[in-house]
Amino acid sequence: MNLFLSSAAAPAPPLATAAAVAVPPRCAAPRPLPLAPEALHPALWRAHQLGSARGAVSPSGFPDLDLQLPGGGWPHRALTELLLPHPGLGEMRLLAPMLAVWAGRGAGVMLFDPPTAPCAWALAQLGLDARQWLLVNSRERRRGQAPAQPPARADSQRRRLLPSADLLWALEQALKSGHVGALLAWLPARLGADALRRLQLAAQAHDAPVFLLREPAAAQQPSVAPLRLALQPDGPDQLHLRVLKRRGPPLTQALRLWLPPVLEVEGGVDSSPGPGTPPPPADAPGQAVAPAVPPRVWS
Amino acid sequence: MLWIGLHLPWLSLESFASTLDADQAARPLALEQAQGIVQADAKARALGVRPGMRRATALGLAPQLLLVPACAQRETQALRAVAHAALAFTPAVTPAATWAVAQGQPQVSPAAAPGVLLEVAGSLRYFGGHAALLERLGQALAPLGHHLQVASAPTALGAALLSRWRTDLALGPHSQDRAALHALLDDAPLRLLADLLEPGAAAREAWATMGLHTVADLRRLPRDGLARRFGTALLLALDRARGDAPDPRTWVELPPQFSDKLELFTRADTADQLLAGARVLLARLVAWAQGQQARIVRFTLLMHHERSTRRPDDVPPCSRLELALAEASLDAEHLHLLLAERLGRAPLPAPVLDLGLQCEHLVLAPPPAGELFPTRASMQEGTTRLVERLQARLGRDQVQRLQPVADHRPERATVAWPADGPPPVPSAAPLAAGESLPRWPQHLPLTRPVWLLRQPQPLVERDLRPCLRGRPLQVLAGPERIESGWWDGDLVARDYYIADAGDGALVWIYRLRLPLDAGQGSGWFLQGRFG
Repeated sequence: MNLFLSSAAAPAPPLATAAAVAVPPRCAAPRPLPLAPEALHPALWRAHQLGSARGAVSPSGFPDLDLQLPGGGWPHRALTELLLPHPGLGEMRLLAPMLAVWAGRGAGVMLFDPPTAPCAWALAQLGLDARQWLLVNSRERRRGQAPAQPPARADSQRRRLLPSADLLWALEQALKSGHVGALLAWLPARLGADALRRLQLAAQAHDAPVFLLREPAAAQQPSVAPLRLALQPDGPDQLHLRVLKRRGPPLTQALRLWLPPVLEVEGGVDSSPGPGTPPPPADAPGQAVAPAVPPRVWS
Repeated sequence: MLWIGLHLPWLSLESFASTLDADQAARPLALEQAQGIVQADAKARALGVRPGMRRATALGLAPQLLLVPACAQRETQALRAVAHAALAFTPAVTPAATWAVAQGQPQVSPAAAPGVLLEVAGSLRYFGGHAALLERLGQALAPLGHHLQVASAPTALGAALLSRWRTDLALGPHSQDRAALHALLDDAPLRLLADLLEPGAAAREAWATMGLHTVADLRRLPRDGLARRFGTALLLALDRARGDAPDPRTWVELPPQFSDKLELFTRADTADQLLAGARVLLARLVAWAQGQQARIVRFTLLMHHERSTRRPDDVPPCSRLELALAEASLDAEHLHLLLAERLGRAPLPAPVLDLGLQCEHLVLAPPPAGELFPTRASMQEGTTRLVERLQARLGRDQVQRLQPVADHRPERATVAWPADGPPPVPSAAPLAAGESLPRWPQHLPLTRPVWLLRQPQPLVERDLRPCLRGRPLQVLAGPERIESGWWDGDLVARDYYIADAGDGALVWIYRLRLPLDAGQGSGWFLQGRFG
């Protein structure tokens, strides 16, 4: 019986009775279970099936990706880890369709320790209203703070043990408040497993997707996040996406997603391919640095 | 007339116990006055400590007993908070003890009659009836943490007497009907009247020797004889309780500013110890604001420090912690959370002996209507609170909002400002509900990256191509010339290109158009990354 039991709560007794019914004729061929195990409890699924998300999901806006995600979208009430080598490889364009849906519901998006300040006009291009967003920075304060005034003893001890205590605290508060929409957090390197576990517990109260953006080295460490994806750039406007962990069979083949194009707007060589069709090959637009045509002047 | 009498039998103990931390609160507690026990809590009574005992006897019975002197001022403050909370229900609130003011006794200590009387006949309809009003009253008083005995009667003194007598008299025919009240009062024991009367103990002894136990026994005696022996005050009190004589009262008035002090039993070294005391003060502050149907905008916590004998100059006698709220609130829990975060951040310069709380900034407006389902407005209110809490710990500038600005220079096109204030650009109005997205000029084929570097990063040039981390960049699109800002002294003249960083990620780079100074590098800069 290929069963993953992700939580040993309710479904245990019915399984035990089913096994007891099936077992007594020991040498007989195994009879099919009276009830499909995946119908017993949403936490159960067979190894060859894609698990069904226990809570609600938000469609990602990419049909290819939705097919591979349990439940068909970014899960709510759970952490989703995105591992990326550096910021700026298309992660915001990947999340933009989902964020736009949340913005329509009036729930703000919160960013914790974003790598740099986002550009409001670029977000507007993606259909997002940056005025509804909240930015929470914790890194800068520590870096910029002069050590002239020593903090309280207990406080400094705590801070030494956990370098990102402020960020984790803020994240937990936001998760528990239940008043914000999607959350994006750029976590520091070397984060303890207990901190992640605590975040996952807090995330269970948060009915919206939560994304942790981490460095790819974190893929080597186990994590409680039920969904982990590794992102890599794969040419302009393309994203190479590997599913490291999900509730379902492992996905050996990487996904390649066409992102909302950046270059298309510029009106390059091949003009305006549709959103579904692949954009022009990467080597098509002009490679020459020296402009052949006089540049447009905006002043 | 419908009076509600609130009796707080354990007011003295409770007003003290609220200043204790968890360890001390586990010990049995008794109040002493002049070497004798005045009041003992349930744990002390279980050990055999009784009011009226000598101090040495009580300590012999219970060595771990926490003995504290009774303090009339502490009780007055606690009783005042109860009166403030009651003012939210009717403007006619009066302390039960001052019934004797007419007899020329200006102040009766609340220990004799710790209670508050409310005249609520005019408020019944608004609050949905007598029972509903009592329930709301109980909820409003719950945060103050006092044990309550409630009774209703058509007369003020009747309500005061009944509330001291039994706990089941909150509702019933006696609350409206004078005859039913008379019947009840006749059965009331005389000691209740003695507690409220000035002669007190002497009269009580005399009554006991005369075989008088209930009010009915007293009423059977001739009035002139009673007046000669016990004074007219007793007869007047009887008449007022039965409604036969007028009972003029002075009403409690709210002070325009809230100012309360709390003496901590032990000096507080940590924020947690402070917070236990601050919770009491916050509950009183909320009661005061509730009394005038207002919400709190800003308050100040004063911490009086212990005088250091070694370095008296280093330690200020008092430190102030001022808290301003983004949105006026009446939620004691929210205020407490904010205070906890602020106290956790600011180290205490010295142990704290006394706490004070002051408030004079209020919003006199009806509270926002509660909603059954989460709406956009309630969502925004929740976000405001979250922002407040985050700012309390991280600092105001660490929680920001974004505002697009019409400027071609990328570093000026987005402004980040503290989330609790108004946007810095006067033309940019704050986001209203249902407002559409900032309009992107569709006819301009512009492309901006999501991530803009705070400082453009200089790039080295190799073979006439800019390089990022040693890899040459492949320019895919451009140039887009931005030449702007001559009017404010920050002239920008750049040609922007979109380039492939080598691994497929797109970056936004520019080349300075103006002649370079010596040593300024190649003139190529990395401005942003397409997220």
